[in-house]
Amino acid sequence: MLARNTATHTCKAVFSSALLAALCLPLAACHKNKHARNATSPISGGTLIYATDREPVCLDPHVQGDMPQVFVAQQYLDSLVSMDKAGSIHPWLASSWDISPDGLAYTFHLRSDVTFTDGTPFTAEAVKANLDHMANPATQSSTAGGYIRQYHSTEIVDAHTAIIHLSRPYAAFLEVLAQGFLGIESPKALARPRDLNCQAPVGSGPFRIVRWDRQNRILFERNPAYHWAPSYALHNGPAYLNRIEWRFIPEPSARFAALQAAEVDAIDTLPPEAQTPAQHNADLWLLMADRPGNPTNGTLNTRRAPFNDARVREAFLRSADIEGALGSVFFHHYRRAGGPLTPTTPFYSPDFEHAADYNPQRANILLDQAGWSAKDADGIRTKEGRRLTVHIPLRSSLSNSERTLWEQVQATARETGFDVLLENADDTSVNAREGQWDYDVRIGYWNTNTADVLRIVFSSEFLDAAGISGHHQNESGFSNSYFDRIVNEALLTTDTEQRRNLYYQAQKIASAAFLQITTFPQTTRLAISKRVHDIRLEPALNVTTLYDAWVEQ
Amino acid sequence: MISFPNSGFVFLKKLMIRVGGACLVLFAAATLTFITLHLAPGDPVTAILGGSANPTPETIREIREEYGLDQPLMVQYALHIWHVLSGHLGASFSQHMPVTDVLWQQAPPTLKLMLSSLVLAWVFAVLSVTLSARKPFFDSAFSSLETFFAGLPQFWIGIILLWLFAYQLGLLPPAGTHGFSSLILPSLSLAIPLGGFLAQVMRESFKTTLDQPFVLTARARGLSDNAVRFRHVLRHALLPGVSLSTWAVGALVGNAVAVEFIFSRQGVGRQLFLAVSMHDMPLVTGIILFISVVYILASFLADILYVIVDPRIQEARA
Repeated sequence: MLARNTATHTCKAVFSSALLAALCLPLAACHKNKHARNATSPISGGTLIYATDREPVCLDPHVQGDMPQVFVAQQYLDSLVSMDKAGSIHPWLASSWDISPDGLAYTFHLRSDVTFTDGTPFTAEAVKANLDHMANPATQSSTAGGYIRQYHSTEIVDAHTAIIHLSRPYAAFLEVLAQGFLGIESPKALARPRDLNCQAPVGSGPFRIVRWDRQNRILFERNPAYHWAPSYALHNGPAYLNRIEWRFIPEPSARFAALQAAEVDAIDTLPPEAQTPAQHNADLWLLMADRPGNPTNGTLNTRRAPFNDARVREAFLRSADIEGALGSVFFHHYRRAGGPLTPTTPFYSPDFEHAADYNPQRANILLDQAGWSAKDADGIRTKEGRRLTVHIPLRSSLSNSERTLWEQVQATARETGFDVLLENADDTSVNAREGQWDYDVRIGYWNTNTADVLRIVFSSEFLDAAGISGHHQNESGFSNSYFDRIVNEALLTTDTEQRRNLYYQAQKIASAAFLQITTFPQTTRLAISKRVHDIRLEPALNVTTLYDAWVEQ
Repeated sequence: MISFPNSGFVFLKKLMIRVGGACLVLFAAATLTFITLHLAPGDPVTAILGGSANPTPETIREIREEYGLDQPLMVQYALHIWHVLSGHLGASFSQHMPVTDVLWQQAPPTLKLMLSSLVLAWVFAVLSVTLSARKPFFDSAFSSLETFFAGLPQFWIGIILLWLFAYQLGLLPPAGTHGFSSLILPSLSLAIPLGGFLAQVMRESFKTTLDQPFVLTARARGLSDNAVRFRHVLRHALLPGVSLSTWAVGALVGNAVAVEFIFSRQGVGRQLFLAVSMHDMPLVTGIILFISVVYILASFLADILYVIVDPRIQEARA
């Protein structure tokens, strides 16, 4: 995905490079040598300026747990285990582990040569302190704490052996442990009050947090003692960069302009309209990958009319031209995600990508069958005097491009006779409506590195699992005992083939019930200056890691 | 510099009224903030937990207790006012830090922005007014320029400046809060309309003053044209500008929200917007109180400046 020149640019490029060559001729010899050396072997030193859109509210990823936090956490925290691109689990801070036959006890054998950047040694005590911290309600952890609901206690066998006891078997346990959200922090730092730890948490990672200047930047410094890199890294030993300046530039075009002006070295969340210019810019390279989990979607509320009827759900999915909308809104830079899982999720099956493609003829037939056969003067279908209305609350933090995507859905669905109402409100009001099941479509996504996301999003356990004003994770209201049995069975076994088989069935059921309009995968989208090499994505969640990164001096 | 002959009591009374008035303003600000945030729909707990929430019921109960959200509304209000009165601004739940720390970090960039905009606006206004009276051509040119400037919305100027100087010419940084260069474009976006307003107001009184008999006297005494303009006439023209500046301080904070957003700057304006959308009561209250205090101080300062610019006011008051 490196920069490419188009034919129109080539002519200009030839001319300007000729001019440039002429001007630089006297310098060419030494410069060329330097460049050749730089391009092959990493150089230690320098500062990298990374600009991103959203600022975390707390730097400790255990607290709350939103994506910006895990991006920061990946630079200064290590995890017990790591995950590779194929979804296999590898040692990291834990050098090995045993799982009891009943799946309830995980014995971790820990590395003995790891120290946190505050000087605290990494021991079984630290493992216990971290898991207890995530599970403690006072931490206010919605992500890490939510993923380890099955956690019961940690037993310290000796300094470097810890047994984690679960209340129920949880085959996805190692997978979620590999996520940066469950990174291991210094127990001494964790013992401070939560809000103090939020400002400057301490880990054992390749960098340490020096200062957080709110609404401006976070400064990191290299951890010189680091030599316990995960297996996916390109090197071991301390990071190459001396310093990272992690800046916040929420405005997408300003962020891209800052990169073009070389004010910053790399940007996150490259806006779709800037992707073509970025590809044509010879000074930049792009790094992109889909994040695993449940892709960006609109989830249909099956608890009330009209979407309590599967035929109407299918008709709605088939009357929304997502492919067309993606093309016009994202300039063909976003691919469609058609199934309940993003392709990068373990146990993903491609069989469900086209289960609900755009097909207005079929949509019309289904609506006629479901009794929505009459049309009023506006061309909206009606049944027993009621219009076929779909309420979609849009939160104010929704990106403009996604908003436009839903306007396109509104337009195409109208042709089949749906009256789609896009209702704008602030985030807190939308949360409240969602809590009361007051919506027909709910826009969201769920990033996680395990197919167990299907259980969170579609199983009855999560219909009213959490109680923020009656908030729920199963947004569709789907409740199917067969589906519940399958996703829970998948947690009982660590056998890969059995799990694959069970998750295949789960994807099939969810897909056939037409519960979501899936749109595009959540994507990490970086644009990087060519001066910078080896910025990489950690495979569990495809989050940026700057451990291997180095800059030409 | 200012003497109060036989006016100790009068002065004290005036001071009391001013301080009392300031307290009333602060109390009203705190109350209005509370009412507005409670009228807005939605539960702050969801805001506290943020993004993709998957919390346990225990976590939610913990939050309600920690921030007093489980108390009846009147109790919450009484606690809120009590905290404000006793100077405890509390902890921001969206930022996970004490409100005073947030203000301490975010206020300086906003104050810097306000001050530099105010200075730029004044420089423009004074230049425009004094130059205008020199030639009829300048007069019509500057007065139309002022009207044009005064009519421009800040966010629009911000976007145009950003596009021209940062995106197209690449002369100035498009975003951030680091050093002088990142202050120029945001200050200009705020200063241009304000400068237009100031100049319009000052031009009027500058013109009427030029026709006053004392100007003729001054000229008759052989003072140069510049001396007449700057030492005598401008003084009169400054007065409406000074009172407008007090108002402008309030308006600048409001407009700083948009400008801080466009230029991704640190500051209380952008922080206020985030706090409101998160229903973060302690932080919203803290920022509103901070703005009120700045406003009150600015109006005190304007009173003092009035006396310095025009000593007759002090004589009349005494």
